[in-house]
Amino acid sequence: MKKLSDEFVWKALKEGDLKAFSILYKTYQPRLYNYGLKISGNIPVTEDTLQDFFIYVYEHRENLSDLDSIAPYLFSSYRRHLIRTLKKRSKIVSFDEMDVKIIDIQFTPEEIMTHQESETFKDKNISILLNKLPKRQKEAIYLKYYSGLNTNDIANIMEVNYQSVANTIHKAIKNLREEVSILELLNS
Amino acid sequence: MAKKNYNTIEDFLLDESFNNWSKENRLTDVDFWDEWIAYNPEKKELVNEAKDIILGIQFKHTEPNKEKTNADWAVLENILKAKNIEEQKKQAPNYFRFIGIAASILLLVTLGIYTLNPTKVVYKTAFGEVLNLKLKDGSLVTLNSNSSMYYYENNNRKVWLTGEAFFEVDKKETTNAKFWVITDDLKIEVYGTSFNVDTKHEKTAVFLEEGRIWLALKNGTTKKMIPGNYLSYSAKENTVLDEKNNLNSHLKTSWKNGSITFDKLFLKDAIKKIEETYGIKAAFKDEESKYKIITGAVPITNLDICLKAIEKSVSVHIEKVNNQLIIKNRTEN
Repeated sequence: MKKLSDEFVWKALKEGDLKAFSILYKTYQPRLYNYGLKISGNIPVTEDTLQDFFIYVYEHRENLSDLDSIAPYLFSSYRRHLIRTLKKRSKIVSFDEMDVKIIDIQFTPEEIMTHQESETFKDKNISILLNKLPKRQKEAIYLKYYSGLNTNDIANIMEVNYQSVANTIHKAIKNLREEVSILELLNS
Repeated sequence: MAKKNYNTIEDFLLDESFNNWSKENRLTDVDFWDEWIAYNPEKKELVNEAKDIILGIQFKHTEPNKEKTNADWAVLENILKAKNIEEQKKQAPNYFRFIGIAASILLLVTLGIYTLNPTKVVYKTAFGEVLNLKLKDGSLVTLNSNSSMYYYENNNRKVWLTGEAFFEVDKKETTNAKFWVITDDLKIEVYGTSFNVDTKHEKTAVFLEEGRIWLALKNGTTKKMIPGNYLSYSAKENTVLDEKNNLNSHLKTSWKNGSITFDKLFLKDAIKKIEETYGIKAAFKDEESKYKIITGAVPITNLDICLKAIEKSVSVHIEKVNNQLIIKNRTEN
């Protein structure tokens, strides 16, 4: 019941309805754009791959399985699409753990709210602390708190299991808390 | 509320009342956990870690703006249209395909994902249909059957409602932004809370489940509500019709979980609810069945099951003839 609108848009889209596709595009393009930019760090690459990706989704709409939620599907396949392009561009031949090496999200101070709900993170230089985290922890934090996805969806996108995502997020927060307490010790 | 052991971080994360405490959402949960932590000082580190995971980090959204997205869509739409024409040239015209597209457009209208003009967003439900919505600001709305709601795209925190809806409004701590619900009778001013609004029967009835809201009635007076308060007001009659405290929240808001709850109602009054929900008329064959007393819950999106449940619980016979219900006492047969 909850994802009625998602499901409906998906069905109409499968029938080739451009109006439905524009709803899908306008809902997800900004979020995917930002994600793509975080992964690639390159505006033209993000724009090109994103337009290509949406054309791909539209052209292959008939092969898509019915989904009760579109967001995890779009995030994970756009991620794969983008990584493939980046690999080609950088002409890397060895593909071992390539994803992990490629995806290195950087946070800037401007995108962190000055008012943090958590006492721990209030008035701290969070972006610097975030950037110190291991790559996978950064991506998990990004997908959870920036993109607002749930643990299940993040597991799909990062191609790991649920528990592993949960652990990654716990570790990331734990690391941040430790960094904050070290900072406080130094400043006192 | 807490009743089990809390040993791992998951135990805390999965606990609803712990989540409420972390977000300072609900007074009873806040009190409970403040006390719990005082009695379990060895769990303090775990508790603080779990709290930080729940609260997370607040980001500013630096996504591309609307104009950019719309411009990119215009480019893409032309590419896709060109592709569609190519496709159609290859295929013979297909009647069924056209029907599919027409049906999907019709569905768009009935399911309520259509826009009247570029800035107005409207949601509508048919009889026997309930729609769950998540607004852009994170607020949740459950729209009951035969109801409609709209807002302007640039501000989803001001909505106009006809019919019935349940709101769970997301608090905007950073900006203190208020949320408004406007009906024919009154305006509701909200700041992070959950409540029910019902505008059926030429009045507006508001029930507050959690948090605090202010009402601005059409006659100019304002009223503050606290959890458990119920108030109904008619602008036409310019009077407060009903005001109650500590109402059982289940009776007023059970519809959002897909059922209507009857608490010792006469069958005739329960049937009125069924008529509203399913947009159907009912007639009683005898006086006796009108005054049978019914207690229990029936579904609001499946008429057949709903009628069967009523037949069983009060031993009447309900027949559906031309979209009308004929109700008669079972013992008469």
